Amino acid sequence: MKKFNAVEKNAYVDSTLNANDSITTKMYVKYHVSSPDEFNSKLTTSLDRIRTITYNYCFAMLGCVIAVLLLWWFLRNRVELHATLFIMSLLFAFILLAVGLTASMIEVDARIKSLDFVLLGQHVVFKNQVLFFQSKSILDVVEVLVKQPAVDSILVGVLILVFSILFPIMKLTSTGIHLLSRRKIAENRVVKYFAFQSGKWSMADVIVIAILMVYIGLNGLLETQLANLNIKTDFLTIITTNNTALQPGYIVFISFVLYGLILSTILKFITPYDSH
Amino acid sequence: MTTDKPSSPAKKFGLPNIILVLGLSILLCGEAYFGYRLHTLSSEQEQIKEDYNMSNNITFGLFSVDQWRDRIATVVNGQVQDFTLTRAQKRALQSQVQAQLSGLVHKTIAEINKPQKTLMGKIKKFAVNKLVSEDEIQAQVPSFAKTIIDKVNSPASKRRLKDIATGKLTQLENQTYDSTSIAIAAVTKYLYSKYHVSDPIQFNNRINEQLAAIRTVTYDYAYAMLGCVAAAAGLWLLMRNLTHLHTTLFFMSLPFALILLLVGITTTMIEVDARIKTFNFVLMGQKVAFDNQVLFFQSKSLFKIVEVLLKQSKPDAIVVGTLIFVFVIVLPLLRMLARGIHITSPKSFAKNRVIRYLAFESGKWDMADVMVVGILMTYIGLNGILKSQLANLNIKNAFLTTITENNTSLQPGYLIFVGYVIFAFTLSYILKRISPEDAK
Repeated sequence: MKKFNAVEKNAYVDSTLNANDSITTKMYVKYHVSSPDEFNSKLTTSLDRIRTITYNYCFAMLGCVIAVLLLWWFLRNRVELHATLFIMSLLFAFILLAVGLTASMIEVDARIKSLDFVLLGQHVVFKNQVLFFQSKSILDVVEVLVKQPAVDSILVGVLILVFSILFPIMKLTSTGIHLLSRRKIAENRVVKYFAFQSGKWSMADVIVIAILMVYIGLNGLLETQLANLNIKTDFLTIITTNNTALQPGYIVFISFVLYGLILSTILKFITPYDSH
Repeated sequence: MTTDKPSSPAKKFGLPNIILVLGLSILLCGEAYFGYRLHTLSSEQEQIKEDYNMSNNITFGLFSVDQWRDRIATVVNGQVQDFTLTRAQKRALQSQVQAQLSGLVHKTIAEINKPQKTLMGKIKKFAVNKLVSEDEIQAQVPSFAKTIIDKVNSPASKRRLKDIATGKLTQLENQTYDSTSIAIAAVTKYLYSKYHVSDPIQFNNRINEQLAAIRTVTYDYAYAMLGCVAAAAGLWLLMRNLTHLHTTLFFMSLPFALILLLVGITTTMIEVDARIKTFNFVLMGQKVAFDNQVLFFQSKSLFKIVEVLLKQSKPDAIVVGTLIFVFVIVLPLLRMLARGIHITSPKSFAKNRVIRYLAFESGKWDMADVMVVGILMTYIGLNGILKSQLANLNIKNAFLTTITENNTSLQPGYLIFVGYVIFAFTLSYILKRISPEDAK
């Protein structure tokens, strides 16, 4: 028995213990807590607080944009103000774009829900073992894709970059150019294409993230199948990604795309030139 | 048919029109039939794959303590059952016993030879010294040892030892379990009765057969569908100068596009399938293997994607689902309807603002083409990320071999959807050409 204890002591001092210890102390000092329970509850509350605040700011941004659109409605007959209003609206769009690109869009979280078994008559339980956690903005997604070794992934990364940065910026500037500059430049085919038709391509990013979300985030296939067979999954070792969620950056980006599309519709009404 | 509206004098509904309508109707029926078959086959395939992946899920393999226990127990029990002493082991054991015995003898004699105080002790010492010589006994020790080892190694006592060991092992096995066994039993029973099979090998064979059969047929149907549409588009080329037939032809082309769109959104588009193909290591000279461990499987049509998004409790997912539904599914349908109305109905109605907007101007809101690019991007991106993640799991060394496999693929639904987008694009181009005065 003594020998066994000695072995246990020896075996225990492997690298995880050291690493675990140092991480735990560091985290506890950082969050001013002393036990795992306290740590978890503190993190949960501060995360909740941050989430509410983030969403509030996000909705405030959207509120500003809606206010701008309402202003357009009120001023629809004041033709002399339209050009100024439009340029100012473009600035709103730029801010939306900048925030939408850099704020995190999707949070992927894959974990083993529970690992629960009886070993030599003793119950052994591990709960919520996180396998993989990532929180990414569009620019991060681009970075991940471009860093892959395969050429096709790099191509996709570049495409997302084009649709999310190049197209929108070209679009916003072309709308400005179309409205302000002389007839010859305003009727240039490239300028007109970007000003009126290019907006929907930014939607490609929205779609990519949405499908990724569905494929990665909602991997409840096995659980639903087992539920259909009336099997409880509480004690099964299942990889789930149920905590994957869309983040405020995504909402801001969608708003940018829709706002851009609406702006180009408005432009079509106020432009002095041919819009086709 | 509404094509023979008297209000449009340009449209004479003559024999060529009737022939055209009949011919196109046959093509249309063909397309609809192929589309229907494609749709059913694809959902059947999805179902089979889901079943297969359920039974091969990693939860019921690598992640199941029961499975580990069974496999390791087989190996250990095998070792116990096959246990025999090799010549070298025998010799080693014998020399050990010999050393013990001779030590024992030496110790006993020494004990007796100690200076004795009592009379009894002195007599005993004298007797022993007279009758027994230690050297003689020591000389016999090796043969004693051999006898003992032979006795131990006799079949009867070996069986007894094995029984004790096996009993102990079984006891340990019974104390180690998790709750997968119930789930596995239920899943297996359900699947075996569903596919009328009785053992795993038969089950896998049955599924592989069915899948192989379905795969070839699905692609045949997909190509047949696209063939019908291509034939309709070919007719446009042939009749590009027969202006009086254009209205009929255009009107008949719309259902083709409609069927393509419907089949395209309800048929599987991307299938993601990541698995550990083999995981094996050597335990006590025997191979322990887990095969075909499914880590992750998803197979969805566009419609299912929207459905899943809309069923979420989170508002942002619902918003996205609605957007995709409106821009990719509803708007294309509305546009097609508007085009049909525009081309067939009387001038005043065709000039209606809503109809004209939908038929000509709404292109920038119609995101079916964006969807095609988006799906392709998702597929390549997902594939790349999965490949690199799985590559991290590939281990090959002396003890452990894992091989991962990534079967992510685009499915026929995508092909059909691409077909729809190209066809719709052609139609809107044609519409602009055959009604130039309205398009502006």
